[in-house]
Amino acid sequence: MGSLLLAVRLALANVRRHPAQAAMLLLSVTVATATMALGLSLHGVSDALYAHTRAATAGPDVVVLSGESGPEVSAALASLTDRPDVVAHHGPYRIVYAELTARGAVASPVVVHGFAERPGPVNRPLVTDGRWVRPGGTVLERGFADALGVGVGDRVTIAGRSYPVVGIAVTAATSIYPWGAQIGPYGGPSDYTGLAWMTAADARALARSRDLPVTTAIDLRLRDPAAADTFRHTVPDDHPVRVFRPTFRSWQFTAQHDKVILRNAQPILVIGGWMLGFLAVTGVATLAAGRVAEQTRRAGLLKAVGAGPGLIAAALLTEYLAAALAGDALGLALARLALPVVAAPTASRIGDAEPTAGAVVAATVLAVAVAVLAALGPTLHAMRTATVTALAASARRPRHRPLLNALTAPLPTPLLLGLRLAARRPGRAVLQACTTATTVVAITVLLTVHAQRERGYGLDGSVALPNLRGLHDRRLMLAITVLLVALAIVNILTFTWTTAMEARATMAIARALGATPGQVTTALSAAQLLPGLPGAVLGVPLGFLVYLLFATGNSVPPRPSWMAGAALGTLLATAALTALPARLAARRSVARELAAEAA
Amino acid sequence: MPGAVIRARGLVKHFGRGQSLVRAVDEIDLEVAEGETLAVMGPSGCGKSTLLHLLGGLERPTAGEVWVAGRRIDTLSERALAGVRRRSVGFVFQSFHLVEELSAAENVELPALLAGCSPREARRRAMLLLERVGLAGRARHLPSRLSGGQRQRVAIARALVNEPLVVLADEPTGNLDTAATLEVLRIFAELRAAGQTLVIVTHDERVAATADRLVSMRDGMFVDDTRLAAARPRGLGGLLWPED
Repeated sequence: MGSLLLAVRLALANVRRHPAQAAMLLLSVTVATATMALGLSLHGVSDALYAHTRAATAGPDVVVLSGESGPEVSAALASLTDRPDVVAHHGPYRIVYAELTARGAVASPVVVHGFAERPGPVNRPLVTDGRWVRPGGTVLERGFADALGVGVGDRVTIAGRSYPVVGIAVTAATSIYPWGAQIGPYGGPSDYTGLAWMTAADARALARSRDLPVTTAIDLRLRDPAAADTFRHTVPDDHPVRVFRPTFRSWQFTAQHDKVILRNAQPILVIGGWMLGFLAVTGVATLAAGRVAEQTRRAGLLKAVGAGPGLIAAALLTEYLAAALAGDALGLALARLALPVVAAPTASRIGDAEPTAGAVVAATVLAVAVAVLAALGPTLHAMRTATVTALAASARRPRHRPLLNALTAPLPTPLLLGLRLAARRPGRAVLQACTTATTVVAITVLLTVHAQRERGYGLDGSVALPNLRGLHDRRLMLAITVLLVALAIVNILTFTWTTAMEARATMAIARALGATPGQVTTALSAAQLLPGLPGAVLGVPLGFLVYLLFATGNSVPPRPSWMAGAALGTLLATAALTALPARLAARRSVARELAAEAA
Repeated sequence: MPGAVIRARGLVKHFGRGQSLVRAVDEIDLEVAEGETLAVMGPSGCGKSTLLHLLGGLERPTAGEVWVAGRRIDTLSERALAGVRRRSVGFVFQSFHLVEELSAAENVELPALLAGCSPREARRRAMLLLERVGLAGRARHLPSRLSGGQRQRVAIARALVNEPLVVLADEPTGNLDTAATLEVLRIFAELRAAGQTLVIVTHDERVAATADRLVSMRDGMFVDDTRLAAARPRGLGGLLWPED
């Protein structure tokens, strides 16, 4: 207990002494775990939303559709209800294929389901706004209405006829918008289509007014809902419905189909989460490495007063673990808030979204990994150093590198100093290169995503109704890129400031000898920029490769000038960002820096 | 004083404020003539090093004026101060303050390169100076591979590379053993003989005894200013840079 108290007390003292480092660890872990939890929860949340909608709307276990219509088709479909494994049904009902125009401009394919004014026991759409169908009025599926920007009281034109929108509803009988038509006209393939409901009489009148294509469907509830997937195999070949080439849609199929819109979202978020985690490790590891001497002295002191290896490790790691776990909790809370929007880009489903248990565990493992990877090296170093040596630990001295010295000797003084400083911490230079590469990879993927052409959801692929999946992917990719760039900025500032602090003696000497603040700033910026150069060059092809891993066959690469611009822009931004902490460091009093070094 | 290289008037430097105010330098007037060697002595914390930093433009005074070679420097921008340090002043520190990433020769070259000297000329000067201080054979060594005395000799060579008007030395023998101290004293004696203006802050009586003038400090003020009798030859120009 005493050891725990001591570890906590030391951790709190460290946090008070280095609040910026704790804040950075908290921020990095928060964004990484939130992204990871979002990515890993998507499919589970989609399933949960479907299940919630299904329960709220008495969703059918199987929907049987035929590309044809007429009394024979209806009779054949109705005969399915005689089967002993069918316990309830709704229909048969008419599905009319038409065009819908909203606000006088936005046109979209639509399927109109002809329903009774009093819904049956199966497939009872849940009205979320307004009221259920009545003669002369239409109810729009919520995801479709959202995309159209239409609400209760507005008017829409379907196949040239004007209807008031009397209600907005959701159903689990069809896939989410824009896959409201489960089969196309006459049983063929369907386009991106919205869903609307009318009374059965209005639907019949609509179909007859323009001789529109009509199909027929029936919703079934089975004794064993789990058997819905295999129901179609149990309908014998000589069953009357087979004559009309039925399509069977189980609830499992529909639930799975809901995830089509999230097909790219999950890799974007999961890979984004790993990349953010990586940047978190590099940033925090840099700060931790900058404190090696301090940590080693602390370990020496603890050893001197009789602490064992366990207590020393706990004292040194607790600070990082506590901040990482706090970041994890914050990240999971943010993920919970963002999940409804991220997991359900259409409004076709209802229900609450929670991160899944697996996602919570994975995010927590990521947070702990960030803390341990960042702090393990300095901790082990501190534990392995002999007590007396540890008590007098100081910053690591540079190694003699004759080749580097010979190669850099002819360079201008600021560049020479910058290169020598970068060479002093080769590990940090590698992390700097990786940070730059990660940023350029994200920007390249973003540019590649934006270079793809997409079919809109409007009539004949019109972009008047945007492609929600593409829009969702782009927004997620933009959000991930912004987070990655933000962490990269924090990292670059950290790298530069840490280098500036470690090099303050060198820079103070240079200034005492007549180097101007500009020359000192240039040297520090060069120390950061030089490792970033290979990172930027590698980032472009790596980014395109990452995109190709998940792209379909007809992917379009972005323009080379865009990619070159991304690499160059990243380097210029790095140069500008390094100048700020370098300039601040260059303004510190020379005499005090020299005195501090001598002390 | 005609020909003063350094002049200070009413020089004040305070650190902290309120209860914790420290008057490190308190109303000091000083003039150092060209070619003069001035030793500043006093107990630890009396403000000797702060005075040296003020004279060399490493610190800005709280009040008062500092003139180097007829130019007032306490009002200059940081950039202009850098120019003064680079051309007019050479520093020697107790802790040597060599750039750890640079070899001995590169350390000596550094002020010359900063002053715009060509790399070839900077290397020529560095090698010549390292030879003068007996370290030509260590030119490519990093500071971490040199002894304390060797490091200080490199630092002295570095201070001289731009032919400064004045060399400011802060406890130059404070971290050295007897043999290394004698070697540094020999170099200072050569500089003094060559007419180099020197201001040396020291605790070491042996160092102070080599000066033309000795001032004693206490609590930020001069309490004594004595001209030492030691006569020495003057005008040995060319000691540092013999004609090519």
